[in-house]
Parts: sequence; structure tokens; C-alpha cells
Amino acid sequence: MDQFLDQVEACVPALRRYARALTRNADLADDLVQDCLERAISRRGLFRPTGPVRAWLFTILLNLHRNALRASHRRGEIVDIDTVPEPAVPASQPGHVALAEMARAIDTLPLEQKEALLLVALEGLAYQEAADILTIPIGTLMSRLGRARAALRVLTGTPGEPYLRTVK
Amino acid sequence: MSEITREQLMAYADGQLPDSERLAVEAHLALNPDAAAEIVLIQRQTDAVRTLFGPAGAETVPARLKPRRLAAELAHRRRRSWGWAAAAVVLVGLGLGAGWFARPLLDARPASAMLIADAVNAHTVYVAENRHAVEVGSDDSEHLSSWLSNRLDTTLGMPDLTAEGFTLVGGRLLPGEPGAGGRAAQLMYENASQQRVTIYVTSALPGGEPAYQFASYDGAEAFYWANARITCTVVGTLPEEQMKALAGAVYSQLTEGDVAVGRYRG
Repeated sequence: MDQFLDQVEACVPALRRYARALTRNADLADDLVQDCLERAISRRGLFRPTGPVRAWLFTILLNLHRNALRASHRRGEIVDIDTVPEPAVPASQPGHVALAEMARAIDTLPLEQKEALLLVALEGLAYQEAADILTIPIGTLMSRLGRARAALRVLTGTPGEPYLRTVK
Repeated sequence: MSEITREQLMAYADGQLPDSERLAVEAHLALNPDAAAEIVLIQRQTDAVRTLFGPAGAETVPARLKPRRLAAELAHRRRRSWGWAAAAVVLVGLGLGAGWFARPLLDARPASAMLIADAVNAHTVYVAENRHAVEVGSDDSEHLSSWLSNRLDTTLGMPDLTAEGFTLVGGRLLPGEPGAGGRAAQLMYENASQQRVTIYVTSALPGGEPAYQFASYDGAEAFYWANARITCTVVGTLPEEQMKALAGAVYSQLTEGDVAVGRYRG
């Protein structure tokens, strides 16, 4: 049990990071993580699948997030994107991609693309683990990733899709 | 050489391409600057995402997100809810128990009311009978008297009501209230016009307090009294004045010789 709590604790920073990127709101994100942890801890043993703790935690977090979104849609509640802190270091940094523009672009992605992109790009998870977390086939995951990246490229004004010509 | 797919390029950019495929992709990239630019673009997107959101993972984790603390709180909450459940069970149990033991209080009718009700009930049942109105007839009144006296554990003489126009028909033994000896004697009298009155006698109630009560009950008039020795209820459907005269005669004859007699005479 203590070992289980240790494993959970090791995942908390990643869960917070991921939740923050999903919700773009620090308080909402931490609430989400807290719900996720409580659910995981209260269900350990009986309901915990045998797989790695991290994947299980991310699955719980994603389900909670989707439920919360559904509920807030029903209530017509709007999460204010402007409350998101602008990146401390503007533009000029990684290449020529303006970070603020990128943040806004990610927000416009369909949820399923955003979930997939953040698992791989932000969390650096293997495709297979990300697919397991989202409970989708790996091919579906990769096509979501591809669409997300293409959309980001368009939205951040990076020219063209040069490599399309290279594909047979 | 050009069998490289979009997925492979993406996997290469994400560093997730199996070693076996990496060489082929690298060779492809060397010949296709556009594809190489694509890789760079993907990696820049990834860098941007990490620059944007990576720092959140390095922040100090607030106490409310510490798994150990959450586990302790959950355990505490669970214990407390068990506590509430246990308290609820105890309260329900107390309520049931109290209700059970309070039963006698709730249906605490005075003993006299129960005796009067029994007397009226017995009256209604037996005055309607012709051949079996009584168990022992008046022709054997001496036996009747000694029998009922023995059963009630007291001395029970047969009141003489001829002055009121009533003669003894007979009597019977009845089950009675447990509080008053568990047995009752019913004596039945009849007048010339075949109107009947009954006298319902039991041994004294616990305490044996003297009491006197007149009640109209289900269309019948009932005179009840009690002393240290017996309780007696005279039941009939005659007019009130006539009933009072009868009751007075019964009372004075049945209490003859009792210590407390004087209190009710006149």
C-alpha cells in the first residue's frame, strides 16, 4: 500500500502538468488532480487494473476531465482562456514559433486531438502507452497526432505541408 | 527508399521509431530537405508545448495533492461515516427499545375502564342467550355462591333484588383481566318484562383503592365500584334512575360487612 502511494506520488507532477495544459487554469487543474488522486486511492486494490499506475492515473484524470467538460457544457459555463498566464518568455525562443500563438492554437484543437498530442508531446509517452491510456488503437492515436500537428502548423502560420509530396 | 510514411516521419521526430527503421528514414531525410524541414517543425512544436506547460510539472506540489495525506483523509472520512452508520444503528435500536418498553404506557387505559368494557361485553353476549344465558341456574343458588366465591377467592353472596322487581337467573364464571385475578363472575337478573341486568364481579385490583364510576357504554349503562375486596360492575339497559336504584341495592348487599363500607353508603 505504501509502495502504491509512492508510485502515485511520483506521478503527481506529471498529472498537474498535463491537467494544467488541458484546462489552462491552475486551480481547475489541481482540483482535477485531487479528484483523480482521491478516486485512485479509494479504489486501489479492488478496482485497480494490473497495469502501470501512471497509465491508470492518466485514464482516470482524462475521464474526470471529460465528465467535467460535459457538465460545464450542460451548464453553459465558460472557462476563460484569458486567465491563462502568457508564457513568461515570449516569441523568439524555440525557433520562430510564437509560444502564445501556439498556446491559443492548442486550445482550438478538438479535445481528442489535444489529449493525444499532450500525452505524447508534453508527457513524452510512448505511442503505445498513450493509446492504452486513451483506450484506442495505436493507429487511431497516430492519426489524431498527425491531424493535431497539421492543424497546429496551419494555426501558427508555418508555411505549407512540404512533406506531403514525399509520401507515395 | 520513398516507402517512408507520414507516420514513420512523425515517429522519427518523436524519437519513437524502432532502430530497424531509423536508418531508412535518415537516408530518406538526407535526400528530401522538405521532409527534414517537416521533422524540424514537429520537433519545434514539441519544444513549444514543453516550454509552455513543462514548468507546471516543476512547481512545488501543494499539500492537498499529497497522496499520503489524501489517503489519511479518506480513511478518516470512511471511519467517520462508519461512525455515523453505527450511531444511526444505535439510535434506531434505542428508539425501537424505548417504543417497546413504553407500550404499557401508551395503552394505559385505567383498569376500571377495562373492567367496565369487559362487563358490558359479557352483558351483551349473554343477555341475548335464552337456554344458555347462565352456567348455573338460580335453583342451585347456594352452590352458585360457594363455587364463584371459591373461584374469585372471596365471599360472594347473591344479592336479592326482588324489591326492584328482579329475580336471579343464575351465574357463570368468565375469564377476566389478569390484573384483577384473571377471573370474573357474572350474575344475571331478570324482571317480569324479561329485561335483564348483569353483575360482573372480580377480585380487587392491585392496591384495592376504593372507586366509584358511572359510565354509559355502547348503549348500556354501567355502574362500577371497587373496594379492597372486589370490583363490581352492574350493567343494564334500563333507564338511568332504575339502574341507579338497582346499583345501590347491589352495592349495599355486596359490601355488607366490608371495612370501607361506610364511605359509600348514602
